[in-house]
Amino acid sequence: MEPGRCGGGGRGRSFNIPPQKEPNMGLLRPKSMQVSGMEESRSPQTSGCPALRCLPGEQVLAWAPGVRRGLEPELPGTLICTNQRVLFRPQGWQGRQDSILSSDYDFALSNIGRLEAVSGLGRPQILRPGSLLKFMPDEILIHGRDFRLLRVGFGEGGLEPLAFRVAMAIIQARAQNGQAQQYDGMTLSKACCGLGPSEPPVPLLETPEDWEAERKKHGARGWRVSTVNERFDVSTSLSRYFWVPRQTLDSEVRKAFGHFHQGRGPRLCWHHPGGSDLLRSGGFYEASDPNREDIRAVELLLQAGHSDIVLVDTVDELPSLADIQLAHLRLRALCLPDAADEKWLSALEGTRWLDHVRSCLRKASDISVLVTSRVRSVVLQEQGDRDLNGLLSSLVQLLSAPGARTLYGLQTIVQREWVAAGHPFLTRLGGSGGSEEAPVFLLFLDCLWQLVHQFPAEFEFSEFFLLALHDSVRVPDTPTFLRDTPWERAKQSGQFSSYTKVYTPGSPQSPVGDLVPRPLTVWDWGLRYSHQQILQFYNPCYEPHHCSDSYPPKEQPTPVTPGPPRSIFLFSRGTLTPLNQLCPWRDGFSSLTSSSRWHLRHNTSSDSLADQEWGLPPHWGPSPLPPGLLLPGFLGPQIRLWRRCYLRGRPEVQTGLSAPTVSGLLDELAQLQELLRTWSSGALPGVQTKTKDPDTPLSPSR
Amino acid sequence: MLGKGVGGGGGSKTPKPSFVSYVRPEEIHTNENEVTEKEVNLHLLPGEQLLCEASTVLKCIQDDSGQHGICGKLVCTDFKIAFLGDESTLDDNEPQFKNKVIGENDITLHCVDQIYGVFDEKKKPLFGQLKKYPEKLIIHCKDLRVFHFCLRYTKEEEVKRIVSGIIHHTQAPKLLKRLFLFSYASAKQNNPATGPPHQTVMFDTIKDWRWELERTKGNIKYKAVSANEGYKVCEKLPAYFVVPVSLSEEDISCFQGRGIPIWCWSCHNGCALLKMSAFPKEQDDSNLQIQKAFLDGIYKTIHKPPYENLKTEELSNTFISLQEIQTSYSKFKQLFLIDNSSEFWDTDVKWFSLLESSNWLDIIRRCLKKAIEVIECLEVQNTNVLLIEENASDLCCIISSLVQVMMDPYCRTRFGFQSLIQKEWIMGGHCFLDRCNHLRQNDKEEVPVFLLFLDCVWQLVQQHPPAFEFTETYLTVLSDSLYIPIFSTFFFNSPYQKDTNVHQRQLSLPLTQTKSSPKRGFFREETDHLIKNLLGKRISKLINSSDEPHDSFREFYDSWHSKTVDYHGLLLPHIEGPEIKVWAQRCLRWIPEAQILGGGPVATMNKVLEMMEEVQSLQKKIDEKHNSLMAPPLDALSLLRKPARLSSLFPFALLQRHSSKPVLPTNSWKALGDEEDLAKQEDEFVDLGDV
Repeated sequence: MEPGRCGGGGRGRSFNIPPQKEPNMGLLRPKSMQVSGMEESRSPQTSGCPALRCLPGEQVLAWAPGVRRGLEPELPGTLICTNQRVLFRPQGWQGRQDSILSSDYDFALSNIGRLEAVSGLGRPQILRPGSLLKFMPDEILIHGRDFRLLRVGFGEGGLEPLAFRVAMAIIQARAQNGQAQQYDGMTLSKACCGLGPSEPPVPLLETPEDWEAERKKHGARGWRVSTVNERFDVSTSLSRYFWVPRQTLDSEVRKAFGHFHQGRGPRLCWHHPGGSDLLRSGGFYEASDPNREDIRAVELLLQAGHSDIVLVDTVDELPSLADIQLAHLRLRALCLPDAADEKWLSALEGTRWLDHVRSCLRKASDISVLVTSRVRSVVLQEQGDRDLNGLLSSLVQLLSAPGARTLYGLQTIVQREWVAAGHPFLTRLGGSGGSEEAPVFLLFLDCLWQLVHQFPAEFEFSEFFLLALHDSVRVPDTPTFLRDTPWERAKQSGQFSSYTKVYTPGSPQSPVGDLVPRPLTVWDWGLRYSHQQILQFYNPCYEPHHCSDSYPPKEQPTPVTPGPPRSIFLFSRGTLTPLNQLCPWRDGFSSLTSSSRWHLRHNTSSDSLADQEWGLPPHWGPSPLPPGLLLPGFLGPQIRLWRRCYLRGRPEVQTGLSAPTVSGLLDELAQLQELLRTWSSGALPGVQTKTKDPDTPLSPSR
Repeated sequence: MLGKGVGGGGGSKTPKPSFVSYVRPEEIHTNENEVTEKEVNLHLLPGEQLLCEASTVLKCIQDDSGQHGICGKLVCTDFKIAFLGDESTLDDNEPQFKNKVIGENDITLHCVDQIYGVFDEKKKPLFGQLKKYPEKLIIHCKDLRVFHFCLRYTKEEEVKRIVSGIIHHTQAPKLLKRLFLFSYASAKQNNPATGPPHQTVMFDTIKDWRWELERTKGNIKYKAVSANEGYKVCEKLPAYFVVPVSLSEEDISCFQGRGIPIWCWSCHNGCALLKMSAFPKEQDDSNLQIQKAFLDGIYKTIHKPPYENLKTEELSNTFISLQEIQTSYSKFKQLFLIDNSSEFWDTDVKWFSLLESSNWLDIIRRCLKKAIEVIECLEVQNTNVLLIEENASDLCCIISSLVQVMMDPYCRTRFGFQSLIQKEWIMGGHCFLDRCNHLRQNDKEEVPVFLLFLDCVWQLVQQHPPAFEFTETYLTVLSDSLYIPIFSTFFFNSPYQKDTNVHQRQLSLPLTQTKSSPKRGFFREETDHLIKNLLGKRISKLINSSDEPHDSFREFYDSWHSKTVDYHGLLLPHIEGPEIKVWAQRCLRWIPEAQILGGGPVATMNKVLEMMEEVQSLQKKIDEKHNSLMAPPLDALSLLRKPARLSSLFPFALLQRHSSKPVLPTNSWKALGDEEDLAKQEDEFVDLGDV
């Protein structure tokens, strides 16, 4: 690994690199033999390099012609390294004018999980940031942290020096990139709509109008949009607007939120048409000592006019952030193409990833039953309120509301429960270099994939859409996933410019001037995906009709109960435990200890899940399952590995897995209908009936 | 825990008195020991006799709301164990698909795997004479159903009679002539072949073999022979089979069919797949010499042109052993034979490692791999392949059938597949009687070889559904029919045994027991076998690690998978770890926890059928316009048309059919129906409020 072996092969070469990296390269300057050749091939860096449209501030560092390997047919093209990404551009690639990124072969630098160089028969060398390449590589392998694999081979034609240079450039760029670099994101003046003209744009929830429109869509009449955080002075991690009970005043909200961790008080996530609400909230702030009025305000917000409240301790029974990260690392190691198959199943079990998926699904399923079938209001409480709360609330909505299972619905949920709610994407995905990396969002996507897999006719989006979302989290084009808080996003996009002087003294280069272009978001799929690919986002089996007659259920009259709630429960470990009061500060309990956060009776039932009982109070009564509710299976045999995502690096998985039955039939159907239409309109009936090509699962006829 | 819900739940229910007898008078005569004024309708097949019965038995059902019982009668006939209960199947929840012979609560005697009794909450396997009778009977079935019958409210002498009856009739060794098959056949004499004409080739005439030779263009180098007509040569071989043209009649009869290459199938390039029964291990030197000379002669003949080079695959020693298959499957099936939910949840946490330690999936993988290796020889290296096994009737059947399924698209049609089973398994002399242990004579011979084959085919169907005419449901139903003794197909050890028995039966001759000649036992000396097994493993490892054959295999495998699949051509499975899966439809169909309402593959299937229907009707419309004919009324093939959402267990979802109760997460919901419970809860609740 270390430079000792460097000279052994006698193949050390030098190369030129962009001037700003000069200091780092001191080590790498043994006698150079091919400088002239390098110069020659360097000169076309601007001309010979395929026209590359760059992101703002992006510079091409090195490039080399090569061949994409691993899949038939091999694809000639160019491997390019810039200071933001590594990409492979196939020969003759004709991107659309406005699409800068291609989805298939672009790797953001932060997405590179492992870089390997292979030479002939020798063992591959793993290239870490700062290490030295010891030979001229025949092939470079880039393992993405999103499980993609790019293999670029370099032929005999004397291209190895170029390959060497590009490899070193990647090493350098990664080292540089590690130093907490924030992408600015792109702004194009040209409006680029999301999925296409037929779909309404995803509400970004940055204006009160968006929130108000969403509220109306939910039919949440007992709620209003609060502007108390408009200047991010209640909480920087919260969105500027959120929903609070109609009868509360902004001053009460401000007071109450102060007693929650990071100022994240209880807010509405979703209003069930049957009358119940799903709320999310941060943990109670332990050190605070609220007065009577504050307690009342807190209770008012938590109760939100309901007589029965169920508090859910979100982290209970769910994996911790460290667990998630560890499981994901193990999963990545398992899914490397050279990993052994010998003990595949126990190795898979050993990652515990599927276990975590299962526990999330189970908890979400339990909560959905509470909210929809039992019509109880549920408050999700997590200390930080920025991770698993988002996961649970999103899953509950997807399980309970058929409307959320459309493409639009899912994007709205992600925008609201993750982006606007302040999920620290940058930190969790390892972009900020901190230690708090944990791919909670990817865990959510896996849970969602399980649902899509189990209910193939219930979701408008397909697995490909989830893959696209999965791959978008590190792409440096939009700030959607590359910020930790809504505040940072607002600073960036410039909407916040009037406040920058007060709140962000060192404001980055936000666009100055009157014209504020609309920032691009991840929902502008046209940026990275072709029309053909976007068509694949749609699930051909989607069957939205079968529950429309009985959904939505009739709103039950929910009388605003002025008094204290009739019953309060804590839902924990599959059991409902009665609580005496909503918040823990009353009766001299001004500080909290983790064990006695609430006055609760621990149930001492055995660990066996079958023995668990919810202990529902009798007046709740049994109620039938609403027709739109999905109850996922979460048995061992039912939780599957998302092969098309995690095993993408394995060549055997890349081909031949998609049986085009449904889409093929859809094509035929469309063709026949078209034919029939032409005929009935009196055209000549000489056309061939069957010209279907089974190899094109999604022909433009759709 | 087990008995908890039973008493309160269903004890009050009584069988419905409104009974109509469906037993016809002539059947009353055959059931001489039977009184027929029963309160429930027992459907008896022709020739079926009621043996014993017990009333007020509770069938315990575990559903989301805990356990409850259905009161009814447990009967045992010479065909099945049946529970006749007052299940409210009258409403709209009548299952759309059901087996015509076996009802939901019927267990054929051959389907019973293991019987347990519960004594004071302890579960013990039951066999032989009992001193004490259990309060609860648990029956594990070979199709992975589990039944719980509570006998607490049954009269004591009835308990004795039914328990000992069931144990005797399912576990005691039986004579072949006692198979229900014969009573059924003689009672149902005139059996007109109804339904569509037979398109499955039975391979019981020389014409069938010639047809097959012609189909595969093997008729130049291979010939069908009738040397074994009337089983003159050998009782293991079928009456007609195919051998190389150059083989003489004497060669065939020389060693009772051992040591001669028998043709299975010809590849498009003329290479053939052959099989051979090996000679038993011989101590005598001179005999060995003779055998060796004979074999050399044979090899010489078939090595000459026009025959291609020959590669031999020794399956007895270097491949999987039957013992391994048996052990593995018995571990594997335990994962699905779940007595109660809590047991299920206990195993669920360790699901993957338990599954892996059963080794079943690995055995499937090795079979598929071996088949691909054989295909590589046939297809790429242009060599003939000769499979050698001691009797050429177990692993030979698996490998040769798999090779044909993968290479010959005809075998992926339904009739083609049935013909293949007929050719390789029935005529190939697979010992169904012993391997399924239908007669309960030797548990050690019971090895699910055929099931292993079906599971391998399932992997192929799963990976390439459009390449097959049939679905996984077909395979599941086929696997079930192994245990239904009204079909003769899977109830004999060889065509000879079948012919002689069916013949003798017709002549009403008393049967002497015709257990086929004692084979060179697989499990005779276990230690010996284990050693062999270990050696085999080591050898195969070595072979795998050596470069040449493995590399060409890998290359062939990789290059095939990197191309687009032609569903009408060669079809190879993926055999990497993540790609071999559990046959979920067969294994999970009786587990209520596994039900996903509105989900599962049936949801896609529904959509596909719907669209096919639409496509067909449109096509019809277009044709009509084209021909400008009068339109015949469109009859929609609404197979699955139903307003309700189907569940993932469809079409086997018979367990969950309650209409009023919601389907809730089974782990966490409490029965709310019972007033007593509610009252208790109320108290508890008040108590808590005061704390």
